[in-house]
Formats: sequence, C-alpha cells, structure tokens
Amino acid sequence: MLEIITSPISFFILLSLFFVGAIGSLLLRKDDDSANIWSNFFAIAGSLWGLLFSVATIISEHTAAFLVNGSPFPLLSFSFNIDLLSAFFIFIISLIALFCSIYAVGYVRHYYQKYNIGALGFFYNFFILGILLVLTASNGIFFLIGWEIMSVASFFMVIYDRDDQENVKAGFLYLVMTYIGTAFIVVAFLLLYKFIGSFDFVTIKSGVALLPIGAKNIIFLAALIGFGVKAGIIPLHIWLPAAHPAAPSHISALMSGVMIKTGIFMMMRLFLDILQPIPIWWGIVVLIIGIISSLLGVLYALTEHDIKRLLAYHSIENIGIILLGLGSALIFSSLSMPALAFLSLVAALFHTLNHAIFKSLLFLGAGSVINQMHTRNMEEYGGLIKYMPQTAFFFLIGSMAISALPPFNGFFSEWLTFQSLFQGIAILDSSMRWLFILAVGALAFTGGLALACFVKAFGSIFLARPRSTEVTHAKESPRSMLIGMGALAMLSFLFGIFSSQTVSLLEKIGRSFDVLQKIPETILVSNSQGLMIENSFSSVSGLTFLLSLVGALIVVAIIIDLIINRSQKIKIGATWDCGTDLNPRMEITSTGFARSIVVIFKGILKPSIQHTIDYSDSESRYLPRTRTVSLGVGDVYKSYFYQPILTMITSLSMRVKNIQSGNTNIYVLYILIALLVSLFSIL
Amino acid sequence: MTIIILEIQIILTPLVSPLCAGVINKIKARLQNRKGASIFQPYRDLWKLLHKDEIISRDASWIFRIAPFIVFSITLLIGASIPLFTSFLTNTLTGDMLLIVYALAIGTFFLALGGLDIGSAFGGFGSSREMTLSALAEGGFIFSLLTIALINGTTNIFAIANADIFLHGKYLFPTLLAFGGFLVVLLAETARFPYDNPATHLELTMIHEAMILEYSGKKLALMEWASFNKLLSFNKLFIFLALWVNLFFPIGLAYTPGVITISMGIIIFMIKIFLGVLLIALLESSMAKFRFFRLPDLLLISFILNAIAIGLIR
Amino acid sequence: MNQIFLQFLLGIMFLTIVFLHLSKKNFSASIAYGIQSLVIVLFFLNSFFETNNLAILLVVFLMLIVKVILAPLFFIRLIKKNALAFSVSTYLNTPLTIISIAILTFIAHYQKFSPLTSIVPANQDSLSLALSAMFLSLFLIINRKGALSQILGVLSLENSIVAFVIFAGLEQNPALQIGIMFNIGIWILIATIFMSMILKHFGTLNVSSMNNLKG
Repeated sequence: MLEIITSPISFFILLSLFFVGAIGSLLLRKDDDSANIWSNFFAIAGSLWGLLFSVATIISEHTAAFLVNGSPFPLLSFSFNIDLLSAFFIFIISLIALFCSIYAVGYVRHYYQKYNIGALGFFYNFFILGILLVLTASNGIFFLIGWEIMSVASFFMVIYDRDDQENVKAGFLYLVMTYIGTAFIVVAFLLLYKFIGSFDFVTIKSGVALLPIGAKNIIFLAALIGFGVKAGIIPLHIWLPAAHPAAPSHISALMSGVMIKTGIFMMMRLFLDILQPIPIWWGIVVLIIGIISSLLGVLYALTEHDIKRLLAYHSIENIGIILLGLGSALIFSSLSMPALAFLSLVAALFHTLNHAIFKSLLFLGAGSVINQMHTRNMEEYGGLIKYMPQTAFFFLIGSMAISALPPFNGFFSEWLTFQSLFQGIAILDSSMRWLFILAVGALAFTGGLALACFVKAFGSIFLARPRSTEVTHAKESPRSMLIGMGALAMLSFLFGIFSSQTVSLLEKIGRSFDVLQKIPETILVSNSQGLMIENSFSSVSGLTFLLSLVGALIVVAIIIDLIINRSQKIKIGATWDCGTDLNPRMEITSTGFARSIVVIFKGILKPSIQHTIDYSDSESRYLPRTRTVSLGVGDVYKSYFYQPILTMITSLSMRVKNIQSGNTNIYVLYILIALLVSLFSIL
Repeated sequence: MTIIILEIQIILTPLVSPLCAGVINKIKARLQNRKGASIFQPYRDLWKLLHKDEIISRDASWIFRIAPFIVFSITLLIGASIPLFTSFLTNTLTGDMLLIVYALAIGTFFLALGGLDIGSAFGGFGSSREMTLSALAEGGFIFSLLTIALINGTTNIFAIANADIFLHGKYLFPTLLAFGGFLVVLLAETARFPYDNPATHLELTMIHEAMILEYSGKKLALMEWASFNKLLSFNKLFIFLALWVNLFFPIGLAYTPGVITISMGIIIFMIKIFLGVLLIALLESSMAKFRFFRLPDLLLISFILNAIAIGLIR
Repeated sequence: MNQIFLQFLLGIMFLTIVFLHLSKKNFSASIAYGIQSLVIVLFFLNSFFETNNLAILLVVFLMLIVKVILAPLFFIRLIKKNALAFSVSTYLNTPLTIISIAILTFIAHYQKFSPLTSIVPANQDSLSLALSAMFLSLFLIINRKGALSQILGVLSLENSIVAFVIFAGLEQNPALQIGIMFNIGIWILIATIFMSMILKHFGTLNVSSMNNLKG
C-alpha cells in the first residue's frame, strides 16, 4: 500500500491535480463562483494527496528518483528526486495550501465582480505546481523552469488587486528582485556545469571534487545571493515588505509560509548535501546573515503600523532564526562534528515547519480583519475582539506561537535552536565561541522584541475601544475562513504539545543527509515525554507544562472564584478617565507603543520626526491652525545600497546610449570593425 | 514523604512571598526613620482585596478577566519547578531554564495585554514601557542563566542546584559576574528600583503599577500576589546563584533523616531570602529611580557582564 | 579560359568597386554595377564550361537576366523617376577615401589573413583581392550618404562574396547557387518596396536625414 502511495505515479497524480485545477479554473473564468469552487476544490484535493504522499514517504523512507524521457533538449532532462528533505517540504506546502485553500473559498468572494477569479485560480494552482517542481527537480534547467513558473505565477498574484497603484509598483519591484536572484542562481549552475559538465544534481554531487576551490567559493556566493533574495535575507529583502502586503491574504500566507522556504530548501540542498565538504567560512557567513536578519527584521517590524508589512518583517526575522540553525549546522559539519550539525539541522527544519504554520495563521487572521475594515492601517483598528471574537482568539494563538511562548510550537523550535547554539558555545574554541555567543544574544533579543511587537499588534487590533467607526460595522468572518484559521491554530498547539514525536520524524530527515550519517543514536532523544539533548544537557516537555498550567489555572480559579467570597459582585463600569470623556484618542497607538524601542535603537533604525505648523496669522505666530507631526524610519537599504547601484547603472546606460546615433552608416561601420576584429582574432 | 515535599514545594512560594514584600517595606521604613507597617501587612492587604467587589471596565474583554489567573498560575508553576530548599528532586520535564524564561514571558504577555485592554492612557503606556524593558532584559536573563548552565554542563535548574562545583577556584569570578548581571535583570523584571517605584501610582514612576491600575477586588489580589511571587521566584534564583556549596544537602533517597535536613534546608533558604531582601531594600533606599531612557543602558551592562562571564569560562 | 583571363576579370571587378566609391553620378554607378555583375556571369560561365553542370547554366542565365540587365535598368528608372541624378556626398572627402581604400586593400592582403586566403594556394592573390573587394563594399555603405549607393554597396558585397567563393573552388555547392538566387529575388523585392516607402515617408533618400532611428 505504501509502495503505491509513494510511487512516481502518485507524484504525477499530485501534479496533475493542480494542473487540472489551473486549467479548469481558467476555462470557467466567466462564472466567478464555479471558478472559485473548482480551483479551491482541486487545490484542497491536491494538498490532501500531497500530505498523504509526503507523510507516507517520510514514514516509510521510500525515496524515489525517476526520469521522464522525451526531452527535446540535450541538457534538460525531466528528472525528479524525491528524497526525505523534499518530502518534508512537500508536507509543509501541502499542509499550508490545504488550509489556505479552505480559507480562500470564503475569502475570494470579496473579489467577485471586481477581478477575474478564474485567473486567480489559474495562477494559484500553477504557483503550487511550480513550488512542487522546484522541490523535486533533480536537473538544473528543470529546476529553473519550476522556479520561473513559481516566480511568474506569484508575480501575477501580487499585482492581482491592481486598482491600487502601490500594488503594481510592489509587483514590479518583486519581479526585478526575483530576476536578479535568478540571474545569480543561473551563474551558480553554469559554473557547476563548466567544471563538472552536467546540470544533473546527482552527477554534480558525485563530481564535486572536480571543482577548484575558487570556483566553489564563487558558486557559494552566487547561490547565497540568488536563494537569499528569495528567502528574504537582509539586505536583499526589500521586495518582501512590499510584495506580501500587496497580494491577497491567502497568497501572502502561502508566499510567506512556503515560497521563501524554497530558498532555504535549496540552500540546505546545496550546502549540506551537494557541495560537501565545505570550508568553515561558509557556515560563518550564513550564521552572521542569520543574526543580522533576525535582529533587524524584528526591529523593522516594530516600526510598522501596516499589519501585513509587520507580518512580512517578522517573516524576515524567522528566516534569520532558521539561518541561525542552518549556519551552525554548516559550521559543525565543517568541523566534523556531525552530531551537533544534526541537532542544528533538526532545529532549523522544525522552525521551518512551525513558522509556516503560525505565519500562515497570522496572515489569514490579518486577511479576515482587512476584509472587514478595508484598510491595512493598524491605527484605525481597535476593539475588534468584541466584533470578531473567533478571529481574535486564533490571532492570539498565532501571536503566542510566534513569540515562542510555551506550550505552542514556536517555543520548541526556538528551544532546539538555543540548545544547538549552547552546545556550540560549550564545545568550540574561543574565536568561534564569540560568534555563537553573539548568536545566542541575537536570538534572545529577537524573542523578547517579537513578544513586544505582538503585544503591540494584538493590542492595537483587537483590544480597547474602536479607533474608527468602520470597526463597529465589522462582522465575524464566514465559516470557511474560520475553519482554515482554526485548523492552523489547532496545529500550532498540537505541534507544540507533540513536539517530541515531530522531532523524532525530523531526525529521520536529518539522518538522510550523507554528511550526517555517522552520528551516535542518543544525541537527540525524543521520547514520549519530551525533548532531550544528549548527556542530559537539557530536556523539556510541552505536555507536562501544559497539563500543569491548566491544572494550576483550574485550582486557582476554583479557589478564588468559588471558595473565597462567593458573594462578590462584579459591576461593569467605565474605565478610569480622570474625569474627562473617554475617546479613542486616549488609547495608545501602535506607533506610540513601539516608539520607546525605536528611540532606543535609533542608531540602527534612524527615526526621524518632522513638525509642520500652519498658523492662522503668518506674521504673528501665536495661534496655530493645524500642526502636523510626521514620524518616520530611515530606509537605510534604499539610500546606501540600492540607490548608488541604480545611479551607477543609469549613468553607465546613458553613456552607452551614445553608440546609438541613429545613423545607419555608423552601424555598418560597427559591422566592419567587428568583422575585422573577429577575423584578426580567429585567424 | 516525596509527596509532602512536593506539596511544600508548591505552596511555599505563594505562602512566603507576601512576607518578603512586607520585610522589604519594613526595612525601608526603618532606614527612613519610620516605624513602618507590620511585616504581615501584605497578607492583610490580600485578604482585604479578596473580599471586595469589583468594577470591570466596559471596554475590557475576556483577556482582561483571564489575565490575572494566568499570571498567577504561571508564577505558581514556576515556583514549583525550581529548587527551593531541596535539590534531590529531579525535574526533567519543566525544569529547563529556557522554559522558565519563556513561561515568565507568558505572564508578561498577558499582563501587558490586560493593560492595553482597558483603553486608558496609563495602561497603554505602562504596557509599552514594560514590553520595552522586558524585551531588553530577556537577553541578560538568558545569558546569566546560560553562564551557570555552561559551568555545570546542563540547563536543567535542578541539576545545576545539585552540583557543587561553585566557589571552587576558577568558576568563582564568572559566577559573581553572572550574579551581578542577574541582579540587574531581577530588579527589572520585578519592577523595583531603579526601574520602577512600586510604591507610587504616578504616571512618571510606574511601569508595573500602570498596567494593573484598572484591576480591583479579587483580580487585583491575584496580580499583586503574582508580583510578590515573581519577587520570590527571582529571589531564590538569585540566591542559589550566589551561595552554593554545602547549603543544599544532596539527600538521595534516605528519608528518615530527611525531616531534619529538609527543615534545615527550609531554614537556610529563609536566611538566604532574608539576605537577598535586605540587599534589595538597601538598594532601594540608596538610589533614585532612573530616567526611562537610561534603563536600557543598565540592561546592556547586565548583558555585557554576562557575556564576559561566559567568555571567562575555560 | 585560362587563369589569367579570370584574374583580369577580377581586376575589372575590383576597379568597378573603386569606381563606385569615386563616382559622382548615380547613372554611372548603376552601369558600374552592371559591369560587375557581367564579370560574375563570365566567371560562372567559365565554371560551366569546365564542369558542364546544368545547374550552373541555369544560374548563369538567371544572373544574366536579373543582375546584368534588369537591375541596372531598374536603378536607372528609379533615378529618372525621382531625379536622383547626382549621388549625394560622402563622409570622407576624396583623398581620404582613396587612402582608406588603400588601407583596406592592404589589410586584406595582410599576412594575418593567409589562412583564409590560402584555401586554394594557387589563387591566393585572387582570393585576397576578392576579400578586399568585400571590405571595400562595406566601406562603400559606410561612406556614402545616399540610400541608392548603399544598396549598390550591399549588392557589390554580394558579388564579391560570390567571386571569393568561385576562386575558392566552392561554386559547385548547390546551396550557394540557390542562396544566390534567393538572395537576388528578395533583394529586388525589398529594394522596390523599401525604396518607395522610404521615399514616401522621408521625402528623400538621403540617409543622414533619417534620424528617427536614433535610440
């Protein structure tokens, strides 16, 4: 039975389900409702099949590598390689796509009559198809085909809401950055081809010894930049906060939860699997990038008051955390400490899964809120918990998960990351030690700042009094959206409680890497109770924590409420207002909430404040009519990094433009010169 | 016998923590040449609060109502999970130092949300400042615990307490540095001087008080108790950092002589608590509250001290 | 016919190209082109007599009609219709043009090109001469401002390539012959259509006033 489920036929059924969903959706584009139902039905069916396929592959360890004949080009071969790492990522995408599609059934309704639903369904299914190809392709050119499908489909979905010009601009920026990344990836593949002579990953892996060390380093840098653009590491992240808010919310969830992870997937594949053995500075670079991305990501998130941009910056932060795990895995593998590399890798994989779950949950929640409020600005929300209680509850769970609060899943993956870094500090020598100490510091601060940010987010959106009248018209989301969010919240909880079982499955994936084959059995013992690191370095149990907390809560509640002073009366009154009338302006705004932190970190964030005063009488400036204060955060990347590059390219282009004089004679002169030069050089 | 010990472990924290607060106030009063309230006054205050009616704001939601319970239960749980007067209990399930840090963060999370929920300016600002300081203090917190964890080769608090290699030569200095760093964090997390003045309700000096301004009756009782609890939990962590060797009797499973050793354990624990409380009271009486934007510098100093301590190990 | 005669004919072709550079009147330019094409026809006739390949006879026939007779007639008609009696000026004045011609010829005879021109070692000089004819044709296009002269330049480039091929002994290749025929057909077609279009749109065949191609 398992054989059939994990066979290549099954994989092609998976691909074809999405393909049928795409084509059918396009054909049904005249009828909004049926296009919506068709595309989401097939996406749900495909996701369920994908879940079955990936779980069966991981449990039975039946990896599959197969080839489809009939490629017309010599260098392109349609070869697939579904090993345990691919299966894990297929699991992630199926899981998230399942719930996003369920959510989409209700969410897409508010695009009816405005845009073409059939096109959305088409691109949505192709997007998932592209990701599946990226995850399983075993030939460089085939991989690039899948990569292109994924990027182009997501571009069209980012600009889907094209009435808003900002979205179109964001889509354009996204497209440019994606292609810059793709260019670097192509360079890496071409270099591999030049030295090893093949685009096929398996051949490359066996021929890695042929690479001279200089070329290998260049390949590393090119791949890091190329896949880093997709993953959203700083400073290549500028497209993320623009593109993720622009897309429809379930697409943002997929992009943030899965698409950026494909960059991580290829980094794992290339650096830990194909290009081994690697020099140690590669791991150091990745670790430093992880430190920078996580800290800066959360700091920028604190400055945002657009809810989806805030969540996008948190994605950058979590990618940084995943890179902390991956970087330390690379360092440990270069130092021939496979046991510790295994631990770090498992931490990174677990955090990938957890982030996908809780980030999608948060984006879906944000989508529900934005649907009702028609604005992304958090300053206009407030008090939504009374109008959208279930959404608020699910968003609360998502916030607790992303802030790494036990017993939700975020805590356990950050715990594992911490533990791997602690081991690094304990075992390595002094120069590397300081790097790991820095990493632990970054992770600790990131956790604290993320907590602050989500107090701000949750508080501004859902608590206190409404800050605009729009809030009072908000209604709870339709049932499909609630089911999507609720299921993700439940998963976030379950993956936390049953983290030890999950980690034992992840250990299998970790062991599938060649470089991590020979490790002692007891590095990471996950028994039914909890996670444990070797030599009893540490252990934690989510289930016990949860049970004891619930137990304590119940005991306390019983004693306080029922036993002591049963005759207490609870009155409902107004908040203490010092005698004035309460209005929404008395509440703290989200900008104000984070301003203290922004000021503390002003060296990094470069906040700016501008006052403009408009007087009633411009000569005697005593009575101001209006006063405007603008608070801003400096955009360091655009001004110091991208703008100079852009200016240089533009000035270079202007000079090169002079070649095009418009005179045909000059053009033929170019031809003659070219002919002479080429003859000279060839002969 | 184990059951009795476990029960004592669980109730010791809520039972003794108001006493600590009372002692601090008494010492401060004496230093200010006043007689001061009795050291059992906090107990009376709690009793009074538990028997009062409540007013809940109409803007508040279920988060406001549930926050005190969560905060209090967390402190109970943490109190039960860390070694108080025995070290032979092994707790591999909830005794991990990171779990303690993040569990306390749950308490902070709900406390801040409760402050935001009522929509008053005080609550909002209190939450903002609390989250700022807590975000920065977390780094120092984890690092100071990490120092002793690295010395002992485990992050399990009970296992650390069980070891007795402190104060032996080379680990003395890092331990003292970590102890100093931890003290700074402790003052931040328990809203003591120089971070916050627990005695006033003015907007200038309050962080913690601002968030619980709107609570009344039973909920206020729980919140106050929890903050005492936090003080107590922190107290003992800081104490066992400092005074290690020969103060915990590694008992094993011989229980008959256990009664005496446990009582000795409790008494010595009380002495250590008292010393710690004395230190805090002296600190509070001798310095003023810092300006808010000077506090991050203080937390950064704690962080760096701990980082140096880690660097000095080995 | 012996080699000397063939080389003499090649020399005539070379001289027609030089003449194309120096001529001021379009009429004489067209005639020079006609002479050039006649030379090529004679080359092909020679190879027909040597190999008796019917395809070559066909090529000869077609070339005679199209290139020697029709093309110059067509150009003359165009000149008469649009009063293009005088060819427009060049970029370089006459002394400089002659110097450039000399340089290009010298380059073609340069040693560096010997691998190219030694395909048939006996004909090395002829091949160098044909190569220089190619360069000169290109230079003609560069130097002249009138569209008619430029078209003549392209056509003479084609002729010189054919001459090169003949002397390199490759004229048996049917692909070459078909290519030539095809080329002629397309060129005539495009020349007709393009010229009328350019004239209609720009009002003149002076290429330097067609600045709208500027980037």
